[in-house]
Amino acid sequence: MIYTILYGFTIGAILYFISIGLSLTFGTIRVINFAHTLTYTIGVYLLLTFIGYFKGFFFISGGLAVLVVIPLSYVIERFIIRRLYGESLDYTFIATFAVSLIGVDTIKWIWGVNPYPLSDPIGTYLAVWGLTFPLYRVLIVLVAVILFFALELFFKKTIVGKIVVAALEDKDGVRCLGINVDKYFAIVFILGSALAALGGVLYAPISSIHPYMGLSVLLLSFAVVIVGGMGSLRGTFVAAFALGMVMAITARYWSQGAETMVFIVMAIVLIFRPIDI
Amino acid sequence: MKKRSVTDFLVIAACFLLLTPILSAHRVTDFMIFCIFVMSFDLMYGYMGRLSFGHMLFLGTGAYCSGLFIKYLTGNPFLAIPVGVLASGILAMVIGLIIVRTTGACFSLINLAFNQIGFFLVLSPLRGITRGEDGFGVRVASFGFLNFANPTFKFWFVLVCLLLIFYLLKRLTTSPYGILIRSIKEDETRVRFLGYNTFFYKWLTFVLAGGVGGLAGTLSALNYNFVNPNSMDVHSNVGVVFASLIGGAGNLYGALVGGVVYMVISNFLPIYIHRWEMFLGFSLLIIVFRFRKGMWGNIQDIGEYIRKRKGVGGPAAGEASKG
Repeated sequence: MIYTILYGFTIGAILYFISIGLSLTFGTIRVINFAHTLTYTIGVYLLLTFIGYFKGFFFISGGLAVLVVIPLSYVIERFIIRRLYGESLDYTFIATFAVSLIGVDTIKWIWGVNPYPLSDPIGTYLAVWGLTFPLYRVLIVLVAVILFFALELFFKKTIVGKIVVAALEDKDGVRCLGINVDKYFAIVFILGSALAALGGVLYAPISSIHPYMGLSVLLLSFAVVIVGGMGSLRGTFVAAFALGMVMAITARYWSQGAETMVFIVMAIVLIFRPIDI
Repeated sequence: MKKRSVTDFLVIAACFLLLTPILSAHRVTDFMIFCIFVMSFDLMYGYMGRLSFGHMLFLGTGAYCSGLFIKYLTGNPFLAIPVGVLASGILAMVIGLIIVRTTGACFSLINLAFNQIGFFLVLSPLRGITRGEDGFGVRVASFGFLNFANPTFKFWFVLVCLLLIFYLLKRLTTSPYGILIRSIKEDETRVRFLGYNTFFYKWLTFVLAGGVGGLAGTLSALNYNFVNPNSMDVHSNVGVVFASLIGGAGNLYGALVGGVVYMVISNFLPIYIHRWEMFLGFSLLIIVFRFRKGMWGNIQDIGEYIRKRKGVGGPAAGEASKG
């Protein structure tokens, strides 16, 4: 049971990395970004390439992969997302879906369709009270918690963060103060994409790697965003870990039902708290 | 039936008949089934303005329910068709109560979630009767010339179904009900202000779209004599959205054009272009940023332009494209 809980925390941490960007872009620009987990997948594939170059230095390659994703997400933002500000939801949906189709096909073109395996980069175990935990998973959870507090600080203390929080509340009000909101939205988008890539890099050794890996995670992180509330930082944090736990506990008793259970939870939440967007 | 709609019927039938020698009867039957599906999607997206990313659920439900009915109860296809339609309709009635409360992105996502649940149910817990990923064969009984093993009969039967659905939806969307759902697309609050129960009309549209989607599923089960989880695959939803957009959303003719064009693209393009998903992505982007009206909308614009040049310009053609 202890292992199930740790597994739940790991899944929750990964879900948190991915959904925070989705939640922020949703709260600010009202764009449902279907291409969000594209950066997640690209991050993982870049990691694979860099690991080949650096002969197994996992963390260096991972960091490089996240850095390479940043200009890429700027390109997506500049040429696709920025044109969709203020558009109706259907068109943003379809346009970002088209981006993810193009991206997945590009990945298939460059890296091929075959899944790659990747082993645990640390491999040591942490022994506490006679129980042994894989150190890597504990590390993922720690990174997520640190990230949560870092983001809290970022949005409370820095001027960029304050502007974004204000824009979440009232976009036009901030614009009236003479602030170029679009620039900050671009920063938020890039931050979210980089975090998704980080989630992908950290999750890659535990999961299997294939070009369509983004889509299933995307559905899960949509569920997280809906359960946690759009554009709510703390809500996303809580919802990610709660749904991760739901997945882990379901998987323990009924392994195929794990993802479906998340959607059932999402449907229940939507019944009792419909969101008008 | 007015004179105009009779001409429309003849033109549609003639177009599909003309396609038959170029492609093959079996393929055109497939195209027509997809067109029925696109029309049902268009009722919800184009007319009511609710984009669903889980419409394959109804196709799959229709296909599975009618297929299982034939497999376990009787081989009579004429009983299986109402069973498939009813099953999808009832499913839409139940989940519609939850789904139509939401709008915009939530609507799309909750549909997607239900589609995922359905796909999972078919694949894993109901494996015992649906045979999981392998699917199962459907063998129908034949009554004299009403023989579903005969491609010619299948072609005519599906064509009649298509025309029937087209007629039905045409009548519905030009009736006061059609105007109401189009007003819901524009501004739901105002419609509610006028005293209409918008929830009921949205629900009704959802059920209708589900039922027609179920008909498409049933026909595809009868056409392939085979049902497998692909008929409920979440990823296939992009196809119907694309077809609806490329033809022009909010227009039944657009749905027909889009359905045929999409099927031609997806059937023949992969032979010539290896990266056809990328092609699909780029063309979707171009449609979203440049040609929102779709092919049918542009055809109408050209028609109107020509008419204006002649000096007989009437608003009749323009009105249909607004919806």
